[in-house]
Amino acid sequence: MQAVEIKNLSKFYGKFRALDKLSFEVKEGDFFGFLGPNGAGKTTAIRVLTGLANYKEGDVRVFGHDVIKEYRKTRSLIGLVPQEFNFDPFFSAEWILRLEGGYFGMGTKEAKQRAEELLKMLNLWEKRDQDYKKLSGGMKRRLLIARALMHRPKLLILDEPTAGVDIELRFELWEFLRKLNREGTTLILTTHYIEEAEQLCDTISVIHEGRMLTVEKKNDLVRKMYHGEIELETKQALAEIPQELLSLGAVYDFKTRRLKLMQANGVLNTALKILVGAGIEIEKVEVREPKLEEAFLKLIREKKS
Amino acid sequence: MNRLIGFQTLVWREIVRFFTVAIQTLLPPLVSSFLYIFIFGLSLGKRMGELHGVPYLQFMLPGMIMMYVIESAYQNTSSSLFISRWANYIEELLVTPLSYTEMVFAIIFGGLVRSMLIAAGVFGVASVFVNLPWAHPLLVFYFLILVSLTFSCLGMIVALIAEEFEHLSIATTFLITPLVFFGGVFHSIEMLPAKLQVVSQFNPMFYMINGLRYSFLGVSDAPIAGCMLVVAALFVLLFAGTVLMFRSGYKLRK
Repeated sequence: MQAVEIKNLSKFYGKFRALDKLSFEVKEGDFFGFLGPNGAGKTTAIRVLTGLANYKEGDVRVFGHDVIKEYRKTRSLIGLVPQEFNFDPFFSAEWILRLEGGYFGMGTKEAKQRAEELLKMLNLWEKRDQDYKKLSGGMKRRLLIARALMHRPKLLILDEPTAGVDIELRFELWEFLRKLNREGTTLILTTHYIEEAEQLCDTISVIHEGRMLTVEKKNDLVRKMYHGEIELETKQALAEIPQELLSLGAVYDFKTRRLKLMQANGVLNTALKILVGAGIEIEKVEVREPKLEEAFLKLIREKKS
Repeated sequence: MNRLIGFQTLVWREIVRFFTVAIQTLLPPLVSSFLYIFIFGLSLGKRMGELHGVPYLQFMLPGMIMMYVIESAYQNTSSSLFISRWANYIEELLVTPLSYTEMVFAIIFGGLVRSMLIAAGVFGVASVFVNLPWAHPLLVFYFLILVSLTFSCLGMIVALIAEEFEHLSIATTFLITPLVFFGGVFHSIEMLPAKLQVVSQFNPMFYMINGLRYSFLGVSDAPIAGCMLVVAALFVLLFAGTVLMFRSGYKLRK
């Protein structure tokens, strides 16, 4: 079962094409990273999924249900953590949650229990009677998450959930989201912190100018787009580079005495053998693991050029 | 999942909202209605004699109650919806599984509750000075409820069109208040020149005010069937318009 299926979704704001035949799928149970530069169309796509934006072209389904024709069904399956705080200002933290439960059809008792459970889980119980405006930024973020989880959604969409959140809380939230995912909730995450996507997501998609550049398993994408690097520093500057190293694709900087190689299976071993065989002394070895950030930048740069 | 719960929750939310700002929403009509009764009814009214065979204070009261119902219903939904759009927490509601018709119904129900409380309050203030005979009690509720729902819908429509707060009061100042006053809260159209009597008949408020006047007193400037029809038709029209705007996502789903 696909949690989300989007086919050929186009959306215009006046003449500006925010989404351009966007197509992708999210499998049930996935932790799906939705990356892209500012203005790429991430939030627009999320707004279409959750019913906050209309569209004219394309087909958008959530767990097989059309988001326009069966909007009541799809909305009951989705929990949204929006980018901006959009709480009802007339109510306290606890009542914001209880109202949300009510809107989703939960009875008074059930909504009260669920609100208590979530407030405790997200360390907000002490602040339950406070006006949301008096909560700190991190608490408001947690309250947004609690609100989205009130009705136990099968799909949780988080639009920049850790923007402006300190590192400690960010780690706590990551752990919380991982747990939700393990328990079966499908998650879609947009973030500006590539590290966040790298830490959390199983699948990564990159959207640019309203089009999907790629959707792949995180590890495949990283490996495919960026191989990591090996750097070896020689003790003395080399007079010349051994031919076998050149055929491995090595580049040598005579000034810094650094030899760079693309990382791949056995490359380090071979390079070391060649260098030792040629009597070259090595001072330092560095292996840089492939990073999603580099893959991401490479993808976007390729697209731009 | 119980479908009714979502609707009830939103109705409850709408009611709590105006109660938390009761000083702005519930009290002012009571104060100003007392002033109207005192000045027009008790002081000037004595010199007015009878209209349609009823004392002036009695004559103006149904119109005055209708005026407050219209204003409070409109104010409730227009400010509730506009603020939620302006501060963006309307999105909290738009992602829920309530149907668009349920959303509209719940919000106008909030307007209905507020305006009925105010109608009861004004009636209570008036009862100190004068008795209304309740000539046709069922019709009293017919007019109060339908007119309240109609202006709750109008409030929502204006709240969707408005770009700034002041647009809400522009509609009150330049449309609702003049039409209510010309509709005959304080006068019978018999007191107007012939041409103005004809013009008055194009004013929908004329039928609302006279409908309620007939329901309370058994006297009216307009035939009661006509009043009932105008009120029902306007409600159907504005309700359908509001639901259509919600369904199409006008200014809601960008």
